[in-house]
Amino acid sequence: MRAYLTTIIESGTESYDLEIVEAASGFEALKTLPHHKFDAILTDINMPDINGLELVSFLKNHPVYRSIPIMVISTESTEEDRRRAAALGAEEYLVKPFQAGDLVEKLRRLLRVA
Amino acid sequence: MAREDDRARDEFTSEAEELLDTLSRDLVDFESQGQNVRPELVNKIFREVHSLKGLAGMLGFTEISELSHSLEDMLDRLRMGRIAITRDLIDLLYDSVDSLNRLVIAINDPSLGALVDMTGLTSRIHHIITSQPARVHDDPFAELTLDEQTKKSLTEYEEHRLLENVRAAKHILVLEVTFDFSDFDERLRALTASLSESGEVISTLPAIPTGNVNGIAFRLLYGSTLDAAAVQVLAPDAAVTSLRKSEPGAAAPAALPAPTEIVEEEMSLRSLSQTVRVDIAKLDHVMNIVGELIIQKTQLEALTRASADRTSVQQGRMTSHELGKVARNLDRKLNELQKSVIEIRMVPVGQIYSKLSRTVRKVARELGKEIELVLRGEDTELDKMMVEELTDPLMHIIRNALDHGIEPPDERRRAGKSPVGRVTLNAYQQGNSVVLDVTDDGRGINPENVKRVAVQRGLIGEKDIVDQQRAYELLFTPGFSTAATVSEISGRGVGLDVVKKNLQELKGTIDVISRVGEGTTFRISLPITLAIIQALIVEAGGEKFAIPLTSVEESLRIYSRDIRTVERREVFTLRDFTLPLLRLADAFDLDDDHDHGPDTKWFVVVTRAGEKTVGILVNALVRQQEVVIKSIGERLKTVPGVAGATEIGESEIILVVDVGSLIDHFGGRARETRARAAHV
Repeated sequence: MRAYLTTIIESGTESYDLEIVEAASGFEALKTLPHHKFDAILTDINMPDINGLELVSFLKNHPVYRSIPIMVISTESTEEDRRRAAALGAEEYLVKPFQAGDLVEKLRRLLRVA
Repeated sequence: MAREDDRARDEFTSEAEELLDTLSRDLVDFESQGQNVRPELVNKIFREVHSLKGLAGMLGFTEISELSHSLEDMLDRLRMGRIAITRDLIDLLYDSVDSLNRLVIAINDPSLGALVDMTGLTSRIHHIITSQPARVHDDPFAELTLDEQTKKSLTEYEEHRLLENVRAAKHILVLEVTFDFSDFDERLRALTASLSESGEVISTLPAIPTGNVNGIAFRLLYGSTLDAAAVQVLAPDAAVTSLRKSEPGAAAPAALPAPTEIVEEEMSLRSLSQTVRVDIAKLDHVMNIVGELIIQKTQLEALTRASADRTSVQQGRMTSHELGKVARNLDRKLNELQKSVIEIRMVPVGQIYSKLSRTVRKVARELGKEIELVLRGEDTELDKMMVEELTDPLMHIIRNALDHGIEPPDERRRAGKSPVGRVTLNAYQQGNSVVLDVTDDGRGINPENVKRVAVQRGLIGEKDIVDQQRAYELLFTPGFSTAATVSEISGRGVGLDVVKKNLQELKGTIDVISRVGEGTTFRISLPITLAIIQALIVEAGGEKFAIPLTSVEESLRIYSRDIRTVERREVFTLRDFTLPLLRLADAFDLDDDHDHGPDTKWFVVVTRAGEKTVGILVNALVRQQEVVIKSIGERLKTVPGVAGATEIGESEIILVVDVGSLIDHFGGRARETRARAAHV
C-alpha cells in the first residue's frame, strides 16, 4: 500500500523524472540514507523503530543531511507533534488524508521547482 | 483507470483485513492484560487504527476512515493516559473492530453496509472521550536533567510515557550506544528487546557518532525498575546515565467499572480476500523446480533428434532406456512441483482463531455463561480455501457447545464442576487429514433427550431404539433442530445437518464423542488439500472409478461365496467384524455381468468415512495414482456419491467417488448392521 503514495507522487511529477525510494520504518529510512542523494524526504510521525520526530531531529543535526528539505505527513490528532517537527526544522507538513494535488503542490515547493 | 481502482480496492481490502486481524489479536491481549496493559501494546493498537484510517482516507472509503478516525482519537487519549481502561472501553473496541470488519466486507458487497450502526458507535466513542475528566498534565522534565535535543525530539506520546515512568517511581536512564551502520537495526532491536524485559524504552534518538565514521549512535531514553548499575550489566557497551535529580516516589492504579451488555447481529466470519501471502523462499523453490523441468525438456528434445538417426534394434533399445530415464526424472520433478504448490496454498488454521475467540467472548456474554476458550494447534496448516470454508461450520459447533453443551454456572456448581465452562479447540494433523476437535466439558449428549426431541419432530417413532450412535446420527438429521428449539445463539434455525453438508463439500467428516455429564467432542476431519489426491483406481460394471485413498482402509480379494446376506443386506466377515457391502456397479446403476457363481473373484475396498466403515465391492483394482479432482459442474453437483471427475492419462475421464455421501446415500441400512455387529 506504500506504493500508493509513490503512485500519487509519480503521476503528479512525471515531467521531473523523480526517483522515489520507499522505507517502511525509521530504521529502513536510516539505512537508505547513505545509498542515495536525496532531494527531499517525506516522513510520517507514527512509525515503527524510530518515529518521524526522531528522524527529523537526526537529519537536521547531521552535517551532510541537514540541507535535505523534509515534509512531515501526519494526521490531525498529531497536531502538537507537527508543531514539534517544525521546531526541529522540518520545512513542510501535510495533513492526512490529503488530496493528491496538495501533496504534489507541496512537494514542488519543497523541491523549489516551478 | 477503472482497473487501477479495482486493484487499489483489492489491495486495500487485503491489507485492511490483515490489519484488522492483527488488531483483534492485540485486543485479546489487551483485555487479558487488564489494568497493567503494556504501553507498547496500547501504542501498537493506536498505530494499527492510525494506519487503517490513513489507508481508507486516501482511497475514499469514508465510513471506515471516519470510524477509525474517532477510534484513533479515543486511543490517542488512552495512550496519553487521559482516559482510563474500563469495561465499556474494551467492549467498544471489540464492537468497533467488528464494525470495521463489516465495512471492509461491504466494500465488495454493499448490501452488508447497513448492518453497521455508525451513529451509535460514534456517540459511544464520544461518550467515553468526554465522560472522563482530563488528567492534569504535569511537567515530566521537572525532576529530570534531560538535554534539549532529546527533549525536543520527543513526541507528545513519548512525553506522556516519560511522565508515567516518572510517576511510577521508575529509574529514568539514558543509554548511549554506537553501532556499525551495517547491522545497527538488528543490534538495536536486540538491545531494545532485552531492555523491555525490565522496563520501557521510551524513545530512540539516532545521533551522529563521535569517532566511528562508519557507525551510527543512538540515545535511548529508558524507564526501568533497574538502576544504572544493573542496566550497565545488561548493556555493557552502552554509556548509562541516570536523569533523576532525586529519589522517586510511588503511584496508584485505577479501578475497573462493571461491564455492560451489547447484543449484536451475527454475520459470516469468513474473510474476503482470495489471496495467500507466500514466503518468497517457497516461490524460489518452485522456480528452481521449473528450471529443472526445462532441463528435462531440453534432454527430451535432444533424444528426439538423436532417435531419428538411430535405426538398429540395439539403438532403439538405447533410446527407450534413455527416454525411461527422462520420464522418471520428469515424474520426480513434477511430484516436487506439486508438493511445493500445495505447500503454497497452505495457511495456519490459527488465522481464524482470533475471529473465533472474539465471537466466543460475545456469545458467552449474551448467554450469561463464563467460558474459558482454549486454543491449540494454531500452527497446523490447511489449504487456504478450506480454512475459509471451515470458519462458519466451526463457529456453529462452538456456538452449539456454548449454548447446549456448557451448563449455566449454577448447574455446573451443583454437578461439582468449576462454574467456568471450558471449550477447547484443538487442531492437529493425522496422516493426510487435519483434525479439529471442539471439546466442551458440559453436560454431554443424553440419548434419551435426543430421542424425545426426535419423536416430537416426527423423525422417529416412540418405539424406536436410540442408542448413543443413533443419537449422534439424529443430531445431524435435517429437521432435528428448528428455529423453535434453537436459541438465538445457535443460529437461525440452521441445524447441524447444514454443518455436516458444508463439511462434506470439503470432503470432510464430522463425528461426535460424548459422555453424559462429562462433555462432548465434535471431531472434524478434513483432507489437507482438495486439489490433488492419491486415489485407488478400480473397475466396476465395465467402468473405472477413482476412490480417494484417504477413505481407504485396506483392500482384499474375496469370492462370491464369501458374501452372506443378513437382513437382506450383503455383508462380509472381515476378521471378527461384519462388514456391510456396497456394490459400486449398483450404486451407479451399471449393468454388471461379472458374477458367474460362487467362485467369482471380487475385490473389497474397505472404506471409512468418519466412524462408518463399508466395503465397496468392485471387479478389479487397477492401480494407485495421484489425481487432480475437477468439478463436474453445478447441474451434477447433487448426484450422490460423486466428488468430481478426473483425467487418468490418454484422455480417459473417470468419476471420483465421494465415499462419505456414497455411504450416507446407499449404505443407509449398513450402519444399523454395523451397530448391531459392534454390540455382539
